[in-house]
Formats: sequence, C-alpha cells, structure tokens
Amino acid sequence: MKQQHLTLIKYLTLREIKARYKQSFLGLFWVVLNPFFQMLILSFVFSKIMKVGGLGVPYPIFLYAGLLPWTFLANGLASSMGSLVANASLIKQIYFPRQILVISTLLAKAFDFCLAFIIFLLLMIYFKLTFTWYMLLFIPIFLIQFLFTYALSLLLAAFNLFYRDVQYLFNLVLTLWFYLTPVIYATEFFPARYRIIFKLNPMAVFINAYRQVLLGGSWPNFISLSIGVGLSVVLWLIVQHLFQKLESVFADVV
Amino acid sequence: MAPNEATIVFDRVNKFFYLQYQKTLKELVQALFFKEKTIEKIHALKDVSFSLKKGETLGIIGPNGAGKSTLLKLIAGVSGPTSGQVKVSGRITPLIELGAGFHPELTGRENIFLNGVILGLTERYIRSKLEEIVAFSEINPEFIDMPVKHYSSGMYLRLAFSVAVFTQPDILLVDEILAVGDTAFQKKCLDKMAQFQKEGVTIVYISHSMDQVRQFCHRVIYLNKGEIKYDGKPEKAIDYYLNDIKHHS
Repeated sequence: MKQQHLTLIKYLTLREIKARYKQSFLGLFWVVLNPFFQMLILSFVFSKIMKVGGLGVPYPIFLYAGLLPWTFLANGLASSMGSLVANASLIKQIYFPRQILVISTLLAKAFDFCLAFIIFLLLMIYFKLTFTWYMLLFIPIFLIQFLFTYALSLLLAAFNLFYRDVQYLFNLVLTLWFYLTPVIYATEFFPARYRIIFKLNPMAVFINAYRQVLLGGSWPNFISLSIGVGLSVVLWLIVQHLFQKLESVFADVV
Repeated sequence: MAPNEATIVFDRVNKFFYLQYQKTLKELVQALFFKEKTIEKIHALKDVSFSLKKGETLGIIGPNGAGKSTLLKLIAGVSGPTSGQVKVSGRITPLIELGAGFHPELTGRENIFLNGVILGLTERYIRSKLEEIVAFSEINPEFIDMPVKHYSSGMYLRLAFSVAVFTQPDILLVDEILAVGDTAFQKKCLDKMAQFQKEGVTIVYISHSMDQVRQFCHRVIYLNKGEIKYDGKPEKAIDYYLNDIKHHS
C-alpha cells in the first residue's frame, strides 16, 4: 500500500474519532460507559437473580471480557456498513481504494475497544485478579478478530450500496448471533454434544480465547483458534476479491 | 509531459449501467413476487471517441441525462468503461461537489488537512501551503480553528475551493460549481480557472450556461443521449444544441 493511502487512512480515522468526541458532551466517556453499564445490568440479572456461578472468576468480569469483543464486532459492523453510503459524494468524484473508507471506520472502533479495555484492567484490579504474561496474547487475538470483522464489513458496506435496508436484516441476524455466542454464558453451560456450534462460530472462538488468556492465565485453545483464523482468512480473501470486482460500479449506484 | 501530447483519450467507449428500480430488499421481494421490472440496462455512453491535448479547455454541453456526468466519472476514474479504452495521464482535481470530504464538527484547519490528503496531497505540502490556502479562502484567520459547522455557506465553499486549487492539478474537472455561491465567489472561480488555463492546465467543463461555455472553452462537445453530436468550435456546438432544443419543444 502506498504512503499516500496510509496517510489517508490516518486522516479518515482521526475524522471519525474527533467528530464523535466533539459531538457529545460526555464525549470519550460514552464509549467506555456503554459496555460498562451493559455489564452492570447483565451482571445484576445473571449473578444476583439467576445466580450463575462456578466460572472461577467473578461473573461481572467474565461477562465484560465477552462484551468487549462483541461490542467491537457489533459497533464495527454497524458503522462500517454505512461507510460507503455516507461518503457517496467522495466516491462519485475522486478515486482511491474504497476499502480505505471501511478500514478507517473500523480503526476508529478499534480505538474505542482500547479505551474500553482500560476499564477491563481496572476491573481486574478491583476484583484482585492476578496479571499474567499470557494477557499480552490478547493483541494477536484482537488482530485476528479485526480481520474477521473487516471481511464482514467490506461485504456489508458493498451490499448496503445496492439495498439500503440490509441493516434491518443485519440487526436481526446480529441478535440471533449474540445468543449463539458465549457472551453472557460460558460454553460449558451447553451439553457437550451441542458445543460443535461454538467451534464453527468465529466469535465464540475469539471470546473463549480472550477469556483463556485474560482470565484463565493460560494459552488459548490453539485448535479452535486456528479454525477461527482459517475461516477469517478465507472469508477475507473471497470478500476482497468480490469487493474489487464491484468497486468500478460503486460510483454508478450510489 | 510534452505539450500537445494528449492527456485524455477516449477510444470507442461504451458505458452501460443498470438502473435499479428498488433501493431496498423489501421492495425487491415485492417486485419479484409481482413480476415487476427490477433493473433496466442504460446505455449511458455510445461509442464515444475523442482526445484532448494538454492545456485545452473542453466544454461539454447537452440536456440532462445526456451522459455528461458519466463522462466526467470515467475521466476521474471512479467508474470504468464497459467497453473501449479510457486513458488519462496527470493529476486530476475534481471541482464537482465542493467540500465533499469536509466534516462539520472539525475545524477549518483540520478540514484543510483532511481534504488535502483526500485530494492526494502530502501532509508536508499542506503544512507548507497552509497560510496561502487560508489567505486565498479569504477566511478570517480567527475562524480557522472553529468547527466549520459555524461557517456561512460562502466561507465553506471558499475554503473547499481554496484547498482544491492548491493541488497543482494537470487536469481540472468542473461540473456546475458556479451554480452555487454568490457573484463574488463565481468571479473568484472564473478568475482562478482563467489563470489555470494560462498555466497550461487541461480543463473539462460541464455547464448549462452557454455564456460561460462560449467565453471560456476552446472546444465544445455536444452530447445527447450518450452520443457525441458535435465536437469542435464552441459557437457551432452551441448553435447545434440550441437548435435541437427548439425542434423538440
């Protein structure tokens, strides 16, 4: 990729980040508060009312470790889906690789992820959990999740140019997907014979891996993770190819 | 680049695109169910060939839907030809929708950098030209660190125009920008474009104002229903076009 394209990514990402923080009074805090309050409410329901236990760590932090990557996926897809339509006037008059618009939107969401991760560290201190070197593995896991999210984003952003109501369908799918992913529960709650669905769901693989390295103080399950990596790479290659084929008609349809 | 060398070449270019009747999946499903038309193939440019030399100013006239904007999109490289070849060499600066990359929440200064980078400038170049860009936009330097949402529409346009003209273009694509902005802004644009003309910048100019086309262009293409009806002297092209309008009304 050319230097100029990297500069463009930098400026478009900064545009996303700055614009959002200037818009609202609470600015940066919204990003952090949103998953935090979600965590508080869900924790109350599941640990006080339904008395979920036996996780080895307090439920709130177990939950937060799953909410964090899920929020990145959900928010990343929701905002990058509209990224091409929102920049229609640019697409119509000046050429640069269109993926740049998608990747910048996603990078701005990655920034949110990092902020929300600080809360995770504070929670670890609050619950007196021990910090281990394994925790650093969350960085490569996040990079894999980023690739996976990016591939889906490209697909949805392109599709949204042709049919603008894709997002309603997407919301429905996302809700189902949420319940089939171990965010609010652990995979162990499921009977063993059904657990195969978690192996084929990359989000389940990523969330389990995050929990293993952040809370379990151990290596992630490399077999599951390599399936996740494989699926992400294959999806990305296919979508990238499709995206480049469609790119020349984007300006005709927006 | 040597003078007189062609900077834009269209060789038997055809452009089709599909007009989508339904913009949502919901409508699409309904249309499929009732066997309605879903897409229509449009022949937007028919066998278009021409070449433009460096420093020429080409006007493009024709009724709405003639394919003028499609032609501009092919030159800008944002849309590809269905068949035929398009060759364009040199740095292109579009003056089409001014301030397309602006964000209302960002300051004037931030938007200068953002738009400059979108137009292909380096950060270092923008930094070195910053004062000149602000001066040319005639915006009070006090306002430059204010979000552009507080700008008047005139200030907004002037800032966007100012960034665009500092890109050192080889080719300028102009589509009806003079329709926006007040008289002072129009004069500023025309003056700057005349200066570009003198400096040997190639200009492609779409306008509905025959006076401006007559005053400004060396050569005019009259486009109708995707076909070149006339390519040559501005006077003749305009006569031809106005004649066609008369006969149809």
